[in-house]
Parts: sequence; C-alpha cells; structure tokens
Amino acid sequence: MNSITMQCKIEVLRIFRNPYFVFWSLLMPIVFYFIFTNIVNADVPDVELWQAHYLMSMTAFSVMGSAIMTFGIRMVQERTQGWSSFMKITPLPAWAYFTAKMFGQTVMHLFSVILIFIAGYLINGVSLTFTQWFFSGLWILVASLPFLAIGTLVGSMKKVETASGVSNILYLALAILGGMWFPIYIFPTFLQDMAEWLPSYHFGNGAWEIIRGNAPSIKSVLILGGYLIGFMVISALVRRNEEAN
Amino acid sequence: MTNPVVEVQHVTRNFGKTTAVNNVSFSIEKGSTVAILGPNGAGKTTMVSMMLGLIEPSAGHIQLFRHHPKHISVREKIGAMLQDVSVVDKLKVHEVIALFRSYYPSPLSMEELIALTGLEKNDLNKWADKLSGGQKRRVGFALALTGNPDLVFFDEPTVGLDITARRLFWEKVNALKEKGKTIIFTTHYLQEADDVAERIILFNRGEIIADGHPNAIKQQLAIRNVSFQTNDAKRAIQQLQTLPIVSKCYQKDDRIYAVTEETDTVLASLFKFDLHAKDIAIEQGRLEEVFEHLTKPNGEAEINEQHNDAM
Repeated sequence: MNSITMQCKIEVLRIFRNPYFVFWSLLMPIVFYFIFTNIVNADVPDVELWQAHYLMSMTAFSVMGSAIMTFGIRMVQERTQGWSSFMKITPLPAWAYFTAKMFGQTVMHLFSVILIFIAGYLINGVSLTFTQWFFSGLWILVASLPFLAIGTLVGSMKKVETASGVSNILYLALAILGGMWFPIYIFPTFLQDMAEWLPSYHFGNGAWEIIRGNAPSIKSVLILGGYLIGFMVISALVRRNEEAN
Repeated sequence: MTNPVVEVQHVTRNFGKTTAVNNVSFSIEKGSTVAILGPNGAGKTTMVSMMLGLIEPSAGHIQLFRHHPKHISVREKIGAMLQDVSVVDKLKVHEVIALFRSYYPSPLSMEELIALTGLEKNDLNKWADKLSGGQKRRVGFALALTGNPDLVFFDEPTVGLDITARRLFWEKVNALKEKGKTIIFTTHYLQEADDVAERIILFNRGEIIADGHPNAIKQQLAIRNVSFQTNDAKRAIQQLQTLPIVSKCYQKDDRIYAVTEETDTVLASLFKFDLHAKDIAIEQGRLEEVFEHLTKPNGEAEINEQHNDAM
C-alpha cells in the first residue's frame, strides 16, 4: 500500500507545481468571475442570485477544464515520453497508477472548488447556507466524472499537440454552449435546445439548482450518467484497439 | 542449462508486414553478462521489449524466472534502462528515486544507489526532466537498480555518452557483475560487447546469426588469411586460387593475401608450390571486421572488404 500512497502524493505534488494549473484552473475563472459580476452584466434583476449562479458556473468551468485538459494531456505526455511503458516494468500495478492519477485530479478539483468559492465570498460576499456550499461543491466534484472520461479519451491521442488542440476546442465549446459563460436563455432557441443535451449544461445546472434551494434534476443525473458510460465504453474500445496493434 | 533466468523459445514478432524478430530462441544463465549485438534495426530493442513484457511476441514464448514477464514476481526482480524515456516533469531527482523505492519490496538505499551508479549528490535536488544527457543517464541507471534487481536490462546504454562517461558506466556494470547480477545489454558497438560481455548474441535482420563467447565467435567467424611476400606475385596468386580452400587471393602493396579457413593447409601448399615465400604471416580478422562482414548485405560486404584492403 505504501507505493500507492507515495504515488498519490507524487501526483498531487506534480499538479500543484504546474503553473498552467494555477493559471487555467484558478486565475482565469476567478478573473472571469470578477469581470462578469462586477464590470459587465451588473444590471441583472436579482444581483445576489446572479453572483451565486455565476460562481457555480465558473467553478464548474474550472473543474471541467482540468478534467478534460490537464488529465488528458498529461496522459499523452507520459506516453509519448516513454514514461508509461517504463512504469509497466515496475511492480506498481496499472490500476494503482491510474488510481493515483484520479486521486491527484480529485484533490486538484477539491482545491479549485474551495479556492473559487472563497474568491466568490471575498469578491461579492456570496452567501449560501452551509448545505448549499457543501452540496454544490460535492456535486461539482462528483459530476465531473464524465469529463474525466473525456480526459482519458483525449489521453489516448498520439500527439501532445493534437490532444491539446482538440481538448481546448472541446473545452471552450462545451463551456460556452453549456451556458457557463452566459446563461443559455440569451441564446437562440436552437442553441438552447442543443444545450439541453450537453453534459456541460447539466453539470452547471445541477449546481445552479442547488444554490436555488432545489436538488439537481433527474434528467441532469441521467444525461451525465449516460455520457459517463458512453465515454468509458469508447475509451475501453480505443484501448483494446491499440493493444491489438 | 542449469539455472536459466531468461528463456526465449521460437519467438517471432511482426509489425504489420515487417518481421522485426524471426524465430529466435536462447536462454540466459543466472549471473551471466550477455550482449545483444547488432546493427541498427536488427531487432535488438524489440527483443528486449518482449523480454520486459512491453510487447507481446506474435509467436513463441518468453519466460523470466519461469514466469511470464508481466508477472508481479518478475517485475520485482528486474530493472531496466530503456532508450528514449524522459522522467515525468515537476519532480526532483530524489523524489523520483523515493517514488521508485516505494515500488519494490527491498529497495537499495539512496547511499547504495549513489555508490553503484555514480549519481552525484548535487544531482539529487535538480528537476528530473531538466538534466543534461549524462545526468539523465545516471538517473536512468539509478532507477534501473532501485529495486535491487537480480536481472538488469540496458538498452543501448552508452549511445550519446562521451568516452569518460562510457568508461565509468562500464566500470559500474563490472561492479554489478561481481555482485552476481544477470546483465543483458544491447549495443551496436562491438568493442563494448567484446570487453564487457562473456557472451554475445549477434542479431541481424531479426535473426540470431551467432551466439557464444566473444572469443568463440571470433574463432568461428573470423576471416583468417595467410600473407607473404614473393618475387613472382602473379604465379603465386594463380596457383593459390586453384586451391578450393582459398576463398579469395589478392595482392595489396607488396604482399599476397590468401583468405582461408584452413591456414595450415595453405601454408603447406605455399611450400609445395615452391613460391619462394618470405615473411609469412597468419592473421585473424578482428571481430570488428567479422561483424561488418556478417551484418552487411553480401554485395556491400564485398565492397567493404575491398575498401579495407585498400587502406
């Protein structure tokens, strides 16, 4: 068990030492939050609700980004640099290697959630009940699983450049179309209809419901669950295909 | 074949239509040092990757310590230094080593690793992905030995190292040999194989073309020749060429060379033909020449020999 603890510790260390993490996962969402709640869009009917809503959007945006990009791109890097093969000749089981990665990722998500929530409190004095803080944070952690599955798909790409390009586009498209930057009610109807089927919309929507005092809808849970299973199956197929070659 | 650590039986590996390794069999005894020698593209790295369980053979079987190479008990007993492995980023050298130490049941201490590999104390606090070539190699060497393995693989360990670093590396490997480790390394430097290994498995185009002690390989494969001086070179060449045991006869500078496997018989013939031979010498080709001779395509080998002759 010692090796797994050590592996987890090392993964966490590596993530926190990465300046991209600090920039993309913390700085950017917080700056966005500041701009869209204080400079632009300040004339919303219910300011307090908007500030809490947009805090959830930005937290979800941050976690979704690290799940898709950090996780996937690191996998590609480690493979292209021969490190993944090298790990295979050590006694560390493959599942432990993967588990440690997931653990590191979860710690990173937890850290992002806490920090961005604190930023929301400090910038706009967002005030929620303890239950709302707790469950919205928990929702964002757990419901990020489908995006980690997308991350493993990105991780099966051959080149870092491809992985980084594809995941960037995917990330931004999912964020914008899912209503994380602007609420979807300002979109044309066909985009609103489309958002209803995107995992990013439901990821955000769960948290948006929680801060309004509701539970995430069954539809959100089902759609996110469906995406999770779908991406895991594709990921498994891709890996089997690779091993056959 | 008392205590084989590695057993390779009729192993073939295809990549698409190309055959990287073709029906290869050998076994390696505990405590021996074996060089897998061959030119680039001979299938050496593929062979090592299969022994490490990183690539499955298309046909045939490989066992390490009587288990599949992927077996956990095997992984605890092996270490490897592979080509083109960069250590992951954002970790210091001592952290990577600490991580590796946690993988094995009885790892070596940091002090032992420093002594065994020539890793320098001030390397330990550097970022592992930002080292110079030589430092990287030392870290790779240390990682290969961290688990105190019984069997160590080095895939082209000295490529890109300068002469001093190379000499130091082989000194450390010799120390490992004395500890009774089984060592398998690939190289395309014949000199290294000859100096370090007690057995050479010579690969060419995916097949084993020779296997044995470096001296035995020289004996078995060396190009031997009888050379001498004479006043009547033309007649000497004509007459020697009539002998079936002489594969080639030529003149270089003021000497006549008869290439043969049976030098004694050629000597006898020299006197029988009454060629007035002076300053007779018997030469055995260096292993370097044998190697080139064996691993070059036929036409090229011929050209190469002539080229050597001209020098």
